Amino acid sequence: MATLDRSTPIGRRLTWLMAALVAVSVAGAVRSSADDAAPGAAAPITAADIKGITAPSTDDLAKGDPSGTMTGTAADIVMADSKAGLTITDVVNQVGQNRIAVNFVWTLVTGFLVMFMQAGFALVETGLCRAKNANHTMMMNFMVYGFGMFAYWVMGFAIQQGGSAGVTNLGGLNPLNSEFKLSLFGKDWGLFGMQGFFLSGSTYDVGVMVMFLFQMVFMDTATTIVTGAAAERWKFAAFAISTFFLGALTYPLFGNWAWGGGWLSQMGANFKLGHGYCDFAGSGVVHSVGGLTALAVAMIIGPRIGKFNKDGSPNALPGHDITMVLLGCFILAFGWFGFNPGSTLGASGAGNLRIGSIAVNTMLAGCTGSFGAILYMWIRYGKPDASMSGNGLLAGLVAITAPSGFVNTVGAAIIGFSAGALVCFSVEFLERVFKIDDPVGATSVHGTCGLWGVLCVGLFADGTSNYGGAWNGVDGSVTGLFYGDAGQFVAQLIGVCTLVGIIFTLSYAFNWIVDVFVGQRVSAEAELEGLDLPEMGALGYPEFQLVTPGLGRSIEIGG
Amino acid sequence: MKLVGLALVVGGWALAVGGLVTSDATAVRLIAALIGLAVSLGGITTLNTAHMEHAVWKTRRS
Repeated sequence: MATLDRSTPIGRRLTWLMAALVAVSVAGAVRSSADDAAPGAAAPITAADIKGITAPSTDDLAKGDPSGTMTGTAADIVMADSKAGLTITDVVNQVGQNRIAVNFVWTLVTGFLVMFMQAGFALVETGLCRAKNANHTMMMNFMVYGFGMFAYWVMGFAIQQGGSAGVTNLGGLNPLNSEFKLSLFGKDWGLFGMQGFFLSGSTYDVGVMVMFLFQMVFMDTATTIVTGAAAERWKFAAFAISTFFLGALTYPLFGNWAWGGGWLSQMGANFKLGHGYCDFAGSGVVHSVGGLTALAVAMIIGPRIGKFNKDGSPNALPGHDITMVLLGCFILAFGWFGFNPGSTLGASGAGNLRIGSIAVNTMLAGCTGSFGAILYMWIRYGKPDASMSGNGLLAGLVAITAPSGFVNTVGAAIIGFSAGALVCFSVEFLERVFKIDDPVGATSVHGTCGLWGVLCVGLFADGTSNYGGAWNGVDGSVTGLFYGDAGQFVAQLIGVCTLVGIIFTLSYAFNWIVDVFVGQRVSAEAELEGLDLPEMGALGYPEFQLVTPGLGRSIEIGG
Repeated sequence: MKLVGLALVVGGWALAVGGLVTSDATAVRLIAALIGLAVSLGGITTLNTAHMEHAVWKTRRS
């Protein structure tokens, strides 16, 4: 074999030339390899890739599968044409359907949890009322589920979500494609939806059904809030009418503006104000609407007999069962795991894996909320008050509801703690200054702390969330004032102004009309006796003597 | 008095939205919204004061 003599000039030149050729060849091979393995470069799947995929035979499966390794294979993919066999179209369609199925199950199960919160509200409110009103208070919380749901099915859902097509997590909800808009100042102002009355026609759709259930249980939370503020003197008939109106009109209106593509949510796209009004799970839509309606009804209906003395000083009218109250608070805290994390409307795709963060934020805010309340009461009155501790937990949960999807755990803890202290201050203020009688503190827990929660989005949203790259049609993550976007805070503030200015006014006006034509309040005699017999025809505790010393006659039942 | 209170409540909202549509400056919108909220809360106070004039604890003989 001939060899290269490197001692000669030609030999040295040829050596360098060969080295250069080798280097170029190697560089070319590396680049080619790098091109083949470029990050993000995905080779398209072809039919040949899935040809030959086998599944366990029926005989194998008949032997049982204790390890689970043979269950869930290509054989379980739905084929459009079993004669043609498995195709790439079948595989791709199955992936899409799986994503939607996961999201359906997630949304429905979390909706079931929120429905169970009705039991929590019933226990809290009944426990904070006197025993002679137990049947009546419990019945209001029981029937609010039915009255509110009926109103929402008839027209509330259509008004709220009738124009909200485009929810990709639930398959698009394309039948919900009609929103009434006014064109003002060069912008479209969405006001209410017009599709979905009685869930009929094109809205008889699998995705729409999931959305209806989830939104309905949220609406019922708002309607049940009012029953607490008006307890112990609200006529059952007036309650029923008021609930129907709230479920059919007031709640859905604001719900459309915030969640249904209406004008509040579009302030970002239309007026460059952050991402528009943002309310992840409803501090505004649910709790503030309920709390402000509760304030309106409490004003109209007036305080209970004996609540205030002639000089305006308040008397405590303690509830009859604190164990019921705290158990109810725990049930509400449990249900809130459906309320906040469920508001992603899915667990697959579009940033939905943030459900863990949302759940932790919810827990933390409730925890620090109870801390804030217990500290306030302990310092101010020398005792850690049980009922206010429960209200503090609820206040924290209410306040975190809007920001839960946008904040970190430090923000959540601060929001909860501040709400816990705020609710105590609000209860005292409303009672001592406004002379509002609210047996359960509903106005303070849900109204005051709900409005605070709305503002917290504009303060504490940290810009790390990513729900499909945009929110309310504006690219990027929701970011609050403390993280650089003052516009978001202004958007939230305008939302607060709308809740106070429009929703409170609507609720007040309608309930005033009910008071004129039906009467909101029971007679003094009925109130002093307790509403159970006069309104419901039966006592909540028929085996016990019910007495309100100094304020009413005693009722002796049984031996 | 109650109607005055309600008018103030709605008027406060109108102020806030007015700031939104008449100015692009965030600071102006913020001030308008804060003033609007204060007006609305003043309206609620006025409304409540009207209700307290005939409150049951003032009129009922115990």
